[in-house]
Amino acid sequence: MSRNSRSYKAERVIERLTRKVNRQMALSLAACVHCGMCTEACHYVLANPDDPTYAPAYKADRIRRLFKRHMDWTGRVIPWWVKAGSIYTDEELNELMDTVFGKCTNCRRCSINCPMGVDFAVVNRMARGLLVSVGIMPEGVAVVSKDQWEIGNQMGVLKEEYLDTLDWMSEELQQELKDPAAIIPIDKMDCEVVYSINPREVKYDPRTIADAAKIFHIAGENWTMPSEGWDMTNFGLFSGDDDLGGAVARRLYEKVEELRGKKLVISECGHGYRSTRCEGPNWAKYDVPFVMESSVITMLRYIREGRLKVDKSKNTIPVTFHDSCNNARSCGLFEEPRELLSLVVEDFREMYPNRSENYCCTGGGGAMSMSEYTPRRLKSAIVKAEQLKATGAKIVVTSCHNCVDGLTDLIRHYKLDMQVAQLVNLTANALVVEARVAVPVEVPAAVPAVEAALPLHGRRILVVDDEPDILTFFSTVLGDNGASVTQAPDGATCMDLARKEKPDLITLDLSMPGMDGGKIFEALRNDPELAGIPVCIITGKPELRRLIYDRPVPPPEGYLDKPVNDETLLLNVRKILKLV
Amino acid sequence: MATFERGNVKIEVDEDGFMAEPEKWNEEVALALASTENVMDMTEAHWKVANYLRNYYQQFGIAPMIRKLCKETGFSLKEIYDLYPSGPAKGACKVAGLPKPTGCV
Repeated sequence: MSRNSRSYKAERVIERLTRKVNRQMALSLAACVHCGMCTEACHYVLANPDDPTYAPAYKADRIRRLFKRHMDWTGRVIPWWVKAGSIYTDEELNELMDTVFGKCTNCRRCSINCPMGVDFAVVNRMARGLLVSVGIMPEGVAVVSKDQWEIGNQMGVLKEEYLDTLDWMSEELQQELKDPAAIIPIDKMDCEVVYSINPREVKYDPRTIADAAKIFHIAGENWTMPSEGWDMTNFGLFSGDDDLGGAVARRLYEKVEELRGKKLVISECGHGYRSTRCEGPNWAKYDVPFVMESSVITMLRYIREGRLKVDKSKNTIPVTFHDSCNNARSCGLFEEPRELLSLVVEDFREMYPNRSENYCCTGGGGAMSMSEYTPRRLKSAIVKAEQLKATGAKIVVTSCHNCVDGLTDLIRHYKLDMQVAQLVNLTANALVVEARVAVPVEVPAAVPAVEAALPLHGRRILVVDDEPDILTFFSTVLGDNGASVTQAPDGATCMDLARKEKPDLITLDLSMPGMDGGKIFEALRNDPELAGIPVCIITGKPELRRLIYDRPVPPPEGYLDKPVNDETLLLNVRKILKLV
Repeated sequence: MATFERGNVKIEVDEDGFMAEPEKWNEEVALALASTENVMDMTEAHWKVANYLRNYYQQFGIAPMIRKLCKETGFSLKEIYDLYPSGPAKGACKVAGLPKPTGCV
């Protein structure tokens, strides 16, 4: 068929395919030997044994044929032998949509069971992305993606509504604990923990927010919730749109940096955890300078450190645990939730298979937002239903909001006598509230008091010098006096950090390899965002002054000759910062 | 799309059982939908929640935040879940004739 007979959309898809396929995908597209191992791994196939179109290898072949035809030499030479083919019409694209969105939840169970290392889910996600790029996607995916692009969270929750709900949860918590200090702090600076959530929690079921707040409060954590950039879910993972993925992740990262948070804690959501912690930095091309942690690990840490006391006899109903695909298969998070469960419930019963071999909740990959495929989803859920029933448990615990909804739906459909809960619910329920006196409250409270008395408390200083000894010396002096110091050994790092950190002061060496101090200084002054940051030149070569003063920009705020002792350094820095 | 029939009620619903044409909602439809949501008896409290959701949806085209629902009806979160066991998003919204809420719910 000639090139011209291809529809506009099909043309774009083919064109983008060749740019999208990376090494991992190429391997997955080339390596399949059609051995059939994946068929036994897929819950869709197990529930539909007579329908070959559900087999992962078959589904992959819908995309593989395009790869063979357009990217692999075998497809050009012997297309009939390698089953190469192309796509020409919009109808064919819609058929592909039906496969990649409607017959796979990207749960990756086939991927880990493939002896050839084919990661079909990665290929499937790529194909979703290609279709989304030409506007072909289920309506639910389109609506949610639009909200995430435009309003900043996947349920279109407005800022006032979000803050109002957090206030409400604060009031409930104060009443429950009879403690006026039990609140949800908003946008508090320099916290140990910035807590991010799934919009579902704030829009429909904020009980998980209240439970988490209770845990943070009793653990004596210095924590906050951000007023913006709080949605850790990411439809970019489901739609295959890396740009959306990057935009959503960046919103969180930038907010945590603005608040100078030390750790971003992600509430129990499998795809949110994977997107934010594992995939987001790549999508967003962002060098994340803080730690990211699942709230499951946070809770477990508090108990281990003695900051929380729990009594498992408060949770007596038999419980089983469902591993979310994104947590267990893609992020390796499966022992911690079990350890936490063993501490907070009396009767834990394992589900088989489990951990990275567990079956999908059937609501993954965005399936809960695509009503058109609900009958298929519920039919395939028979596999999960049988697995649940065999445990004999009355509560199924999962660390994923998507799984909560997927499981709730199938439990209803198959009339199982079970409830769904998250670890945060059971942990909050097991808390022994009186025990809070122990370690925490005084310690963090005492530290800021001392810090606040230090002359440079709360000031951020960027030290730029190519000599490691000088960097260490300046950082120690300034840090001991309360400043938070970042270091740059060269010009490029300096510009980068200055943009990212927006420091209150930069100390700048002049003679450095690469971009010298003079050029850096001029670049800083010429950048409208950075021009206002005071700069103190500190050089061992006074003759290099001309590097600075010959430039057509305002002069530096301070100037020091090396060697510099700690007193001179501190005095000058305080003068520039008007702290004397 | 599918057709949902119960007694005299015959409506079009989506694959999750939410109304496809929310404008065709009436009390009889609500009663029929309630029976699919483990709500066997629509009490005054149930109606209060359903009517609030209905009015909010007609005004703004979306489902309200649970915060608004509790504040305006005077019910606590727990009471809402007692009234509608599958929660405000799925249970209550469905009975009130709203389309399925968007996002992963």
